[in-house]
Amino acid sequence: MNMVAEEVEGKAGQGGSVAGEFLTFVLGSEAYGLEILKVQEIRGYDAVTQIANTPAFIKGVINLRGKIVPIVDLRVKFNMGKVEYNEFTVVIILNLGGRVVGIVVDGVSDVMQLEESQIRAVPDIVASIDTQYITGLASVGEKMFILVDIEKLMNSQEMQLMDSVAMH
Amino acid sequence: MTVDMSQFYEVFFDEAEELLAEAERLLLAIDVANPDNEDLNAIFRAAHSIKGGAATFGFMDMTEITHVLENLLDRIRKHEMALTVEHVDAFLAAKDVIEMELDGHRHGADVDQDQVAAVKTRLASLTQAEAVADSAPAVTPAVPVETSQVSAHVVAPAAALPPPAEGLTQFNILLPELKEKDIANLQEELGLLGEVAASKHESGRTLFTLNTDSSESDIVSICSFILNPDDLVITQAGVNTVPPVDAVAIAAENTVGKTDEAADTDAGSKVKVHEEAGYGLFAEDGKEAVEEGYGFFAPFTPHADAQQSLKIDDNTAPISQEEIAKAVASPVETVAAASKAPAIAEKSEKRNPAKPDAGHANAETTSIRVGVEKVDQLINLVGELVITQAMIEQRINALDPIHHEALINSVGQLTRNTRDLQEAVMSIRMMPMDFVFSRFPRMVRDLAGKLGKKVELVTVGAATELDKGLIERIVDPLTHLVRNSVDHGVETPEKRKAANKPETGKLTLSAAHKGGSIVIEVTDDGAGLNRDKLLAKAKSNGLNVSENMSDSDVYQLIFAPGFSTAEVVTDVSGRGVGMDVVKRNIAAMNGSIDIRSAMGYGTTIAISLPLTLAILDGMSVSLGSSVYVIPLNLIVETLQPRAEDMKTVTGEGRMVHVRGEYLPVIALHALFGQETEILDPTQGVLVLIEAEGKKAALFVDALVGQQQVVIKSLETNFRKIQGVSGATIMGDGSVALILDVPALIQMGQTHNYLTGATSFASKAVQTISKEYTQ
Repeated sequence: MNMVAEEVEGKAGQGGSVAGEFLTFVLGSEAYGLEILKVQEIRGYDAVTQIANTPAFIKGVINLRGKIVPIVDLRVKFNMGKVEYNEFTVVIILNLGGRVVGIVVDGVSDVMQLEESQIRAVPDIVASIDTQYITGLASVGEKMFILVDIEKLMNSQEMQLMDSVAMH
Repeated sequence: MTVDMSQFYEVFFDEAEELLAEAERLLLAIDVANPDNEDLNAIFRAAHSIKGGAATFGFMDMTEITHVLENLLDRIRKHEMALTVEHVDAFLAAKDVIEMELDGHRHGADVDQDQVAAVKTRLASLTQAEAVADSAPAVTPAVPVETSQVSAHVVAPAAALPPPAEGLTQFNILLPELKEKDIANLQEELGLLGEVAASKHESGRTLFTLNTDSSESDIVSICSFILNPDDLVITQAGVNTVPPVDAVAIAAENTVGKTDEAADTDAGSKVKVHEEAGYGLFAEDGKEAVEEGYGFFAPFTPHADAQQSLKIDDNTAPISQEEIAKAVASPVETVAAASKAPAIAEKSEKRNPAKPDAGHANAETTSIRVGVEKVDQLINLVGELVITQAMIEQRINALDPIHHEALINSVGQLTRNTRDLQEAVMSIRMMPMDFVFSRFPRMVRDLAGKLGKKVELVTVGAATELDKGLIERIVDPLTHLVRNSVDHGVETPEKRKAANKPETGKLTLSAAHKGGSIVIEVTDDGAGLNRDKLLAKAKSNGLNVSENMSDSDVYQLIFAPGFSTAEVVTDVSGRGVGMDVVKRNIAAMNGSIDIRSAMGYGTTIAISLPLTLAILDGMSVSLGSSVYVIPLNLIVETLQPRAEDMKTVTGEGRMVHVRGEYLPVIALHALFGQETEILDPTQGVLVLIEAEGKKAALFVDALVGQQQVVIKSLETNFRKIQGVSGATIMGDGSVALILDVPALIQMGQTHNYLTGATSFASKAVQTISKEYTQ
């Protein structure tokens, strides 16, 4: 699960080694990063089919080439950014161990290769995202990227994307 | 009832082949010193499944060997003996033999019975060796046993008895450890069948040699009075009509070995005679034996060379079959023949491959085995195509029909072709349950006969269509359940009579669509499950149970691995494997399994499978901006109520009066918290739905249309949503949810929805729906 963290630990001794490639995206004024290998594709926001009795951040489901894929709006989930849907709204389609989920973000910026030396530990802070889902903070120049363990986050109970029985 | 079983053979062959391949992979990867329990279980299950399938189709040779294999595996699995390299070698040899037998049934390829017997003996001796005598841990050599060695050393003591007279068969019966008295009794009993001689086997157990005209099963049934037939190792030492190969060879050489051609053919005839001998079935001459075969595969065509050789025999010298038969009849040492057999077997193996080739090619061209993902992909692509085609059609409608007549005609053609294509692709996957059900009459009959029970099999809903993927995967679990019902559920006629039930037990197999799932039930009117016995057994197995568990929890215990309350392990069931396999397979299909039982009245095991990829006739209805699909078979009628038909109870609890009946009105927009402008049922539409005996009126905005939809699971990437059984993709590419009618009726009852704004749940929903609408 905690791939990034493992990599961080595993390669810490080597110094300057590559921690992996990350897709960075924007939520409000903050920049986030997630492992590029978890990303299946990036697409625009289409009409979703709403689903009854689900929390507001679950926008509904879309038809992704025959697959029914749930769409989660991280902006709503973490109360960040202006929640509007237009032709610039971006959906990152993630493939998490076979399960396909889409997340709505404010924008996708870049794919970056990060080195171990650039990743810092997460201090104890109080945020709407539980720090257990943050694997580290990467500093690139003046910018800080929050590295998210997206798989752990999406599989967590609070996202309500899985049946409670199926959760570990 | 005659059922053409051959249509199902292919499925079994494919399954067995896969299971064998899997078992081999596991065996090859296994760590002998420290085997993984899960792997051992998996290998065991593979053997068990093959055995079950083989028994269903009457491939007794495969059942026999897998049974022996299973016995040994079971011991190892339960840690009654440690796994050794020998075991693994023996298992692999057994796998090869089963594969050979499988090929025999499938393509009519030759089966080397000597090899089969050798492997069987080897497995049995491994089972016996370690289980019986601690002091003699390695009866079999530590080095992997060569087949020839095994057959030689088992056959050797047979010399205690002279070779059998004409028409008799010599059996070697290796007994488990028994009291002297029992051995004496047994010898006396077997004496009724023919000549018996007792000798000591090197393992310290008694070995009977029996010359008889009875079959192996007769021996087993006699022995089973005194001991467990599973512990018995019976090998056929030889039939006196078996042509001792060297004798044939000599005869052939003496008579026809003159010309080069003849010398050539003599190898052919040698091989052929040997192969036939292996079946141990034929009476006087080779031809009859060929025709007898097993009756399962196409008549055996004698080797071309062999036929030729007979012809040449006729021409060159007037000695042929009779001459050979004479040579055969002369007393020869069967032992020698048997020990030489493996050498010949090798030869025959070398010669065989060329022959089955033609059969192979044929079998493979009639059907192609394609991965389910490929078919799914195909279905999805066709779905996309249909949508694109609909878009083109829409554009075309905007064009001037006179100027673009040709184009419009072409698109019309495209529409038809697309529809045909879609239908064809869809039909790839759908199959009636009959495909599964029709396997069972034969199996139930055989089983009932074997167990001395009377069972009538009734099938209901055989026309229910199910996705092929599910059909294939439901076969195994169902087979186990049916076997269990016949073996443990239905009682013997005497017991049934005593319980005031008709002598003939009734076993019902049913399939039906129910609330977004397919429910397949196996019902027997037998003894039912015994709660106390289950609890006692669970305790002795060290499972965590308590007296005040609910019945259904107690019943679920039978799905625990290795759980069996049967006192005797038969080759039908009772080993405690079946049920955990069933549960595993069903769980793998996202299904659930439920047991209802009443002591003395019977048991129903209901498998509920999701409708993934099943096709549904649906009515699409609109609600606000969304479209929902209601399964058509659950709709009684649709109507637009008049204001005077709408009634309330205490100002709430809205009902509609339809032809003398008062039905509760469930407002879908309230239930789902969806915004809509139509809040008055007289402006919208009431869809009368019925499920599980309950009726309700579902209030929606309007009807959209009726269509067939492909059901997609929401759970693949998401989770279960209350009131929704699945989703489907509409013609325009959007997703529509399929309503779970029974759940809706239940939700309507518990929440008592009325106008859409009063009950607690809808309030919660409304706050959410505000956020929904951006």
